[in-house]
Order: sequence, then C-alpha cells, then structure tokens
Amino acid sequence: MRLLHNYHYAAAMLLFCLGLHTVIVRRNIIKKLIGLNIMETSVFFFYISLGYLEGGIAPIRTGGADPARMVNPIPQALILTGIVVAVSVTALALSMVILLYRQYGTLDVDRLMREEEPEAGESGKEG
Amino acid sequence: MQESTFSAVPLVAVLLPWVSLLAILAFPKRAEKLRLWLCFLGSLATFGVVLSMLPGILDGNIYTIKLASVVENLEMRLTVDTLGYYFGLVLTFLWLLATVYSISYIDHKHNRFFAFMALCESFILGCAFSANMFTYFIFYEMMTFGSYPLIIHEETTMARRAGYKYLVYAIAAGTVLFFAIVAHYFWGNGQLGFGRYGVLSLEFASRAALLTVFFTYLAGFGVKAAIMPLHGWVPDAHPAAPSPASALLSGVILKAGAFGIIRVCFNVFGVDLMRELKVYPVVAVLACITIVVASVFALTQDNLKRRLAYSSIGQVSYIILGLAMLAHDGALGGVMHLAHHALMKGCLFLCAGVILVKTGKKNISEMAGIGYQLPITMICFSVCALAMMGTPPSVGFVTKWLLGSGSLEAGLPVYIVVLLASALLNAAYFLPIVYIAFFRWEGDEVEEHGERHHPKLVFGKEADHELVVPVVILAALVIIVGIWSNVPGFPYSLVSKVVNVIFP
Amino acid sequence: MGAWRHFPIFMITVPLLGAVLLPFLGYVREKWVPYASLLPLGTSALLGVLLIGRIPSGGYLSYHMGGWEPPFGIEIRLDYVGLFLMLVVCGITTLALVYSRRYIEKEVSGGRRTAYYVLYLLMSGAMLGFVATGDIFNLFVFMEILALSSYALVAITGNRNAVRAAFKYILMGAPSSIMVLLAIGFLYSVTGTLNMVDLAGRIAESGFTEVLIVSYILLVVGFGVKAALFPLHMWLPDAHSIAPSPISALLSGLLVEVCAFALVRITLSVFTMRASDLVMGTADAVGVAAAAAVLYGGIMAILQKDLKMMIAYSTVSHIGYIFLGLTAFTAEGLTGAMYHMLDHGLAKACLFLCAGNFIYLKGYRRIEDLKGAWGQMPWTCFAFALASLSVIGIPPTAGFISKWYLILGNVEGGKWLYAAVLLAGSILAAVYCLRVIYYMFFQAGKEGAWEEYWHDAPPAMLLPVWVLSLATLFFGVFSFLIIPSLLKAAAYLL
Repeated sequence: MRLLHNYHYAAAMLLFCLGLHTVIVRRNIIKKLIGLNIMETSVFFFYISLGYLEGGIAPIRTGGADPARMVNPIPQALILTGIVVAVSVTALALSMVILLYRQYGTLDVDRLMREEEPEAGESGKEG
Repeated sequence: MQESTFSAVPLVAVLLPWVSLLAILAFPKRAEKLRLWLCFLGSLATFGVVLSMLPGILDGNIYTIKLASVVENLEMRLTVDTLGYYFGLVLTFLWLLATVYSISYIDHKHNRFFAFMALCESFILGCAFSANMFTYFIFYEMMTFGSYPLIIHEETTMARRAGYKYLVYAIAAGTVLFFAIVAHYFWGNGQLGFGRYGVLSLEFASRAALLTVFFTYLAGFGVKAAIMPLHGWVPDAHPAAPSPASALLSGVILKAGAFGIIRVCFNVFGVDLMRELKVYPVVAVLACITIVVASVFALTQDNLKRRLAYSSIGQVSYIILGLAMLAHDGALGGVMHLAHHALMKGCLFLCAGVILVKTGKKNISEMAGIGYQLPITMICFSVCALAMMGTPPSVGFVTKWLLGSGSLEAGLPVYIVVLLASALLNAAYFLPIVYIAFFRWEGDEVEEHGERHHPKLVFGKEADHELVVPVVILAALVIIVGIWSNVPGFPYSLVSKVVNVIFP
Repeated sequence: MGAWRHFPIFMITVPLLGAVLLPFLGYVREKWVPYASLLPLGTSALLGVLLIGRIPSGGYLSYHMGGWEPPFGIEIRLDYVGLFLMLVVCGITTLALVYSRRYIEKEVSGGRRTAYYVLYLLMSGAMLGFVATGDIFNLFVFMEILALSSYALVAITGNRNAVRAAFKYILMGAPSSIMVLLAIGFLYSVTGTLNMVDLAGRIAESGFTEVLIVSYILLVVGFGVKAALFPLHMWLPDAHSIAPSPISALLSGLLVEVCAFALVRITLSVFTMRASDLVMGTADAVGVAAAAAVLYGGIMAILQKDLKMMIAYSTVSHIGYIFLGLTAFTAEGLTGAMYHMLDHGLAKACLFLCAGNFIYLKGYRRIEDLKGAWGQMPWTCFAFALASLSVIGIPPTAGFISKWYLILGNVEGGKWLYAAVLLAGSILAAVYCLRVIYYMFFQAGKEGAWEEYWHDAPPAMLLPVWVLSLATLFFGVFSFLIIPSLLKAAAYLL
C-alpha cells in the first residue's frame, strides 16, 4: 500500500537501477553514457517528486496565493543546478568519445581498455 | 628523574658534526685535503664539547634541552645523564679516531663518505643524549639510514648485497620498534621518558601487555645489537664496509642497539619490574646462545673481517648478559663492556684495514708472516686479541671479572661456564691469527738460502700516520683503561655511578 | 564587523572568478596567462593566512552567503581543521601552478594552454569551496566542478592514453556523483534541510531510519570512488600517472584527500557517528577496505615499472592510511588522518613533480631509467629522496608524525590488527621508495643516459619541488605547531 502510494519514488529507483545496469553492463561507450543520463534523470525525477504537491501551484508570491498549496521550490532549484552539471558531464564525455573513436577506431569499451599500453616512455617523449 | 639543568651544550654537540658537512659543501673540489682535515676538526670539536661536560656529569649534574614538543608527553628532548654521557663519550672518541683513519683510508668518493660519517655521528650522539624513547627512535632511524651509504661505500656487488640485507633487517626492526614505542606509550600512561628506576609498572597495564612491550623492544633493538637469530646482517655488512666504517659499525652502531636495550632495562622497565616479569632468564639464555654460537661461527671464517664480525656478535651479547644477571657487578661489567668492546674491536677492525691497504689481503690464510711487514699494527692487533680473550691487564679482563662476579652474585655460576667457553673460543679464533702473523712465514724470504729464516722486521714504514696512530692509541687504551679504570672519564668512573644508583 | 569576515567567501570565489576572466586574457595575450593565473591563487592563500587566529578556539567561523541565514541560505563554515586544509590546498595549488608554466609549454599544445589554466583555477576554487562549505548540496556542486575540471585536465594533452584514462575516470566518477546526489535527495526528503548542522540536529531528533542508512551507504560509495578507496580505486592509477605531472600532483596530493575529508565531515558532523549500529557497520566495512587498500596499493606499487604509476599506487595505499585513521574513531586516529592528509599531500605532490622533472628533461618514465640520475639531476633526486622518506614515515619527517598518531589511534581503539597493517604498509612503502632512491643514487646509469655535468630542471620547476620536500621536513620537526589544535578539533568532532 505504501509502495503504491509512493509509486513515483519506486519509479525513480527503478530508473536509477536501470541506468546503473546500463552503465555497468553495456560495452558500447555511448550506451554507457546514455545509461549515465538515465541515472541522472531518475535522480532529477526523484527530487522533483519530492516537492510535488497534488494540485499545487507555482511558488510565485502573487497576491493571495496560498503558500500551503505551493509546490516546494527548493528541489526544483537544486535540480536546475543538477541539470547543468549533468549536461556538462555528458558534453565532456561525448567529446572524449569522439577523440577516443578517432584514435582507437572503436567504441567497444573492452577493446578500448585492452588496447596495449604503449611502451613506457613514449608518451613522455611526445611533448 | 634528578633535578636537571638547562644547557645548550648537548644540542651544540649534536649539531657540531654538521660543521663538517658544511665544510664539505663549502670548499671546492681542489682543496681536498683541507676539507678532510676540516672534517677531522669537526669531529674533534664534537669530542671536545662532549668532554667539556665531564666535570659537571661527575658532579651528578644532568643537562637537558627541549627541542620541540608535539604534545605534552611527546617531546623531542636531549638530556645528558651519566649513562647517556658515557655512551656519547665513547662514540665521539671512537668517531674521532675513525675520522682520522679515514682521511688516508678512503680513496674514492670522499665527499659522500665523510658527509655521512658526520651525519651519523650527529644522529648517534642524538641517540646517546635522548631523553625519551620518542627522541631515541627518531635519531635511531635517522642513524639507520645515514649509515647505509657507509656500508655500501665500496659499491661492489658484495657491498650492495650487504647493504640490501642491512636495510631489510633495519626496516623490519624499525617497524617492530615503532610498534614497541606506540605500545609503550599506550600502556605506559604516556610516559616515554627515561626514569631512574623505570617508568612502566603493573599498575597501568597487564602483565601480558608489558611482556609484549618488552619483547618487541628486545626484537627491535636486538637486530642492531645482533642478538641471534637477528644477527644476519652483521657478518655481511662488516666485511663489505670500508674498515673505519666497520670499526664504527661494530664499535658504535651495534652498541646503539645494545644501548637501547640498556635503556629499556634500566630506565623504562627498571630492575624491579624486570624481576617481577621474570623476563631476564629468556634474555640471558638468548645472550648465552649468541655468545657461544657466534664464537663457533667465528672459528670457521677465513675472511678476517668476517671473523671479527662474528666476534662482535658474541661480544655485544656480553652486554646483554650482564644486564640479564640483574646483579650489581653483572650490570657494571655489561655496561662497561660497551666501551671496552668499542676500544678492542675498533682497534681490530682498523688493523684489518691497515692490512688490507698495505697488502690487499683479506683472508687469514694469506697472512703468513705479515707481522714482520706490519709490526706495529700486528702488535696492536695481538694486544687487542689477547684482551678479547680476557687476559689481564686489559679491559677484556675487567669485563670478564665483573661478569663472573655478577653471575656469582646472581647465584648462577652457569654463566661463568659460558664466559669461560667464550674465552676459550676467543682464544681459538684469535690466537691462530697472531700465530700466523708472527710465527709462520712463507714465500720468497723462506727459500732464499735453502734454510728457513724469518723476514726482517721493518719498523716505521708500515703505513701512513693517519692509519697507524689511531690503531696505536686504541691498543694503548685497551691496556690503560684496563688498569686505571677509575680515572675520571674512564668507564668505571661513569658506569659505577649509574649502577650504584640502580643496585644500591 | 571587519572585512576579514568576508575572507572565506573571497578565498573561494577569487579563483573561480579568475577562471572566468582568464580566457579573455588568453585571447589578448596568451603569454601572460601563466603569470596572471597566479594572482587569484596567491590572493586566496594570502586571505587564508590572514584568517589564521581569527577563528575562535574550538569554534568556527560562519559566513552566510548573500546574507541569508542558514538553514535557508548557504553557509560557509570554517573551523580550524577546515582552514588548515584550505591553506594546504592553496599552498600546493600555488606551487604546482608555478611549476606548470615550463612543463605545460612542453607537454600541452598551444591552443589548449589557456584552457589548462582556466581548468586549473576552477579546480582549485572548487576544492576550496568543497572544504569550506556547510551546505550539503553546495558540497555536491563544488564536487562536480572539481570532478569536471579534473576529468578535462587528465585528458588535456589529448593523446590517446590520456583521453582513455580520463574516460575511465568519468565512467567511475560520474555514477558516483549521481549516487551522492541521490543520497542528498534522500537526506532532504527525510529532514527537509540541506545545511549540515541543521541536518545533524534533525537526524539526532528523528533517529535512524532505513532511508538515512541507505543514503549514508550511497555517500560512502560515492565519495569512496572519488577518494579512490580500495575496491573503487580502478580509475586512479591510470588517471594519476597519465595526467600532466602538476595535475597528478593535485589529484594525488589534494583531490583524494579532500574527498576523504568530505566523507569524514559527513560521517562525524552529519551522521553523528555512534548513533547507529549500521553506520558503525559501514565504518567497519570501510576499515576493512582501507586495510586492504594499504596492502594492495603497496604491493602493486612494488610491482610497477613506471615511476608515476608507482606513485599512483602508493596513493591508493595511503588513502587506506587515512581511512584507517578515521575508522579508529579516536581523537588520535582522526588527528593522524588529518595530519596524513597534509603530509601525504605535500610528499605526493613533491614526488609527482619530481617525476615530472625527469619527464620534462629526459623523457624518462620507467624506474629503471633513473639509474644514476643523481649525477645529472642532484636537486631533483634529493627532493625525491626527502619526500620518499616522508612517504615511508621515517622520522623526523611529517610522515612519521602522522604514522605515529594513526597507529596510536588504532591501538587506543583496540584495533591491533589495523595497527599491524599500517606498519606493514610502511614496510611496503620502504620497499618501493627505497628501490627508486637506490637506483638514483647508488647505481650507475646506462652509457649516455645522463649527462656528465649537473644539468637539472629550471629553477621554476625546482623551487616548488624543494618547497614541498622541505615542508615535509618542516611539518615533521615543527609538528607541535599543528598537532595540539588538531587533537582539540578532533576531540570536539567526536
């Protein structure tokens, strides 16, 4: 009963686990990034549902609005920050994916990581 | 502890060797001799400063200076009490002679050798003057690492291997020691200082806890003091190091371990607690085993310095045995042996160095007739060898006499048997060297006219003065200190003050 | 109300602001960027020094951002430990920045240099904010700035290994950030506040619920990844060894410490620790992981052939030290952990910068190549040796003092096994450090590997190295300047 009542939390957790599963299991690095984004979205969803109020109104103090009916603005503010962070991480990671693909010619994480370390000393001499 | 007076002299003494270091850094490569003699001056000055404290120490003063304190109980402090002073005096003196000796002996990388000699002197002096275990440990560890370059100075494969072994032993020991000190701090109610009658007691900690502390200390210091079976690094390090460094290793650095055990027995646990804990039989048995077994090992060695190294292992355990007797004379003999052995073994190693420099011979079997080539050296060698056996009048005799008397006092004459066995074994491995050197000669001279006649004695030309003078001084002291041990500054005058307090 | 009350916020915002302005300067005069970037960090350091003595003893300095009172506004809360850590951050970042100019000129291609300094300032500012903030969401934001800039900095050279290492770092770092965010959401959902002090009060009132425990575990895992606690450390060796050396120095010397510190603060001041068996259980698990880290890191470091890789694994081991100090839950253990953050930071930064000197001058990365290095680069080698001694914990370096307190703390907490592990860790450290020192000083190099005459790194690269290595000695000898106040602060936290 409690679970049914808190279905939005359950959904967020489900999404979170799904995302984590994707990040861990998928070998394609773009899919991993997608999994990462699913995780992020689930957390955002969780935050927003925290502040959600059945039939609530936007928390803008225009005359006469009942503060008790306003949705909690703090999670929303937090999540705005969270989204910015998530977008930056995704952008950075994607740019790295491009670089990796150019240099290794593969998106498969196993092959990427298995690729032999170049002889020690080489990377230092590149400079 | 007794009233102590503030004095900066201990700190000056500990810092003076650094002057040598500065001299090495400051003078250009061209002024080689000048730099080396400045190092000598540095170590002379250190000895002088230590000596200047003698009258005060004999009056029963204690000098102290606080360097730093981490928290209330955990401080770096130098304190010169009689026992520490005694060790400091011995080590600075031997260091002075070894420095003189090195000037002529060391033939490459002078800078490194003298720099680390000076550093080590400073660190060991810090050990001697430590006021508590914390300070002792800090200086002790620094000394461990400072002495490494001395051991591997020759940079041969053998030296490297010996150095490696030394480090392995030393680091393991340092870790155990560190643990011991933490446990001591924890169970000793934060009392790391050296009390006159010990600081630990069964009031604060259980028996098992104190036993743990004691045996970890014993194991930690036992590596440096070469108690069997922790002696493994000694027979390798001594032959590998240059002779002055071997002399110091044997004469001082091994003693730093023994001195740590003295401190633990006298000033950390105290005699009464040792009795109560009944640890002394274990220590005594270990010491006896070491004395006998090391001597037997020494018999089988052909390399002179290796034989001397095994001999050192046995001799240092005299000190431990003396402590374990828990009797006035035993303790007196044991602690005095610290200086006595430094004199004797220092001289023997320096003699071995002279032989090596002049003839290139390392093995005893090659040394036939060497006494005629190097008469002064070999006479000094013989004097010390006889002293090692305990022949009167020499320092070795004093030790043996006191230890024997101590074992009677402790009611365990079995120790006398061990001492006699050791004396016999000493004779068995030292006398052949003397015999070979003087009474057996082979080679060109022998066959010259179809009849055996010994080579000519050549006096005065045997080696540089820097090499011979320290040897002669040490050999002379072996006799002089043996006869007039009560001269102020000589071992008896200092050690008896300490021991009389502990065993009234 | 003196101006100094605003110093904490200025310490954080000045580098961040500098990071915003730097690109414009880079557009006009790229050559000035390395010098100009020193200005904000220097300012922060100066402000930090001026704050010493302003903090009431045993208390803290509270700054309310924008004048909003906590728990509504964001609070900056600076106690002695925090200020101490901020000063360490300022010091090491400034030194590594001084070091950066020559090194970056060589390692990083032209177009990216300004970016390097921008990211560097971002990272430094974020670290300062991360240490000082009293608001748990703000903590997350600073952590993300920190993480983002460090991902980018690891990859800044753009060569394939660097990008791969950085990507590996992201793959572990980003999920861990999300876990932290989720944990903060849980906390907020139960308590309705984000201010750490307020949170502690409400948690004490409400007692422990399952949600809190889950959120605590998430926080431990999240920060555990960032701090590279043993089973979560996989990203560290690659990232730390492949990043440009000054960045390695920051990552190893500061970032992991700062993340460990955040976890400590959350454990001690938010979840007042003894409150729940489960929190204690988590702490026990962390203790086991930390002990494993000490041994694993040490053994792996011994097995490495690459110098920077070895130093990186040594960091894994030393993170274990820090966590072992924390899980002892005694004032001594905590003091040891805090002090270890300082001396490990200094020593590791120094080691990485030394390794950087070898790479800069000769391109040598393998430990074997360092045979006989002393002949050509005595200053670097001596600094390396000194810092190594601190890593091993030989007296009188600072490493000894922290090891003393770490072991004492574990002994007092009755954790004898961990004390033994710490001792074993220092033996392992002795093995891997002394091997390098031995190669440098007592082995002859290959023919032509080194020049015959002294030709060390330029002064701008030697100065930071020497300041750091002498600092390890200084804080060993003069540990009494800091230890008593740390002990007091630790006792207060417990």
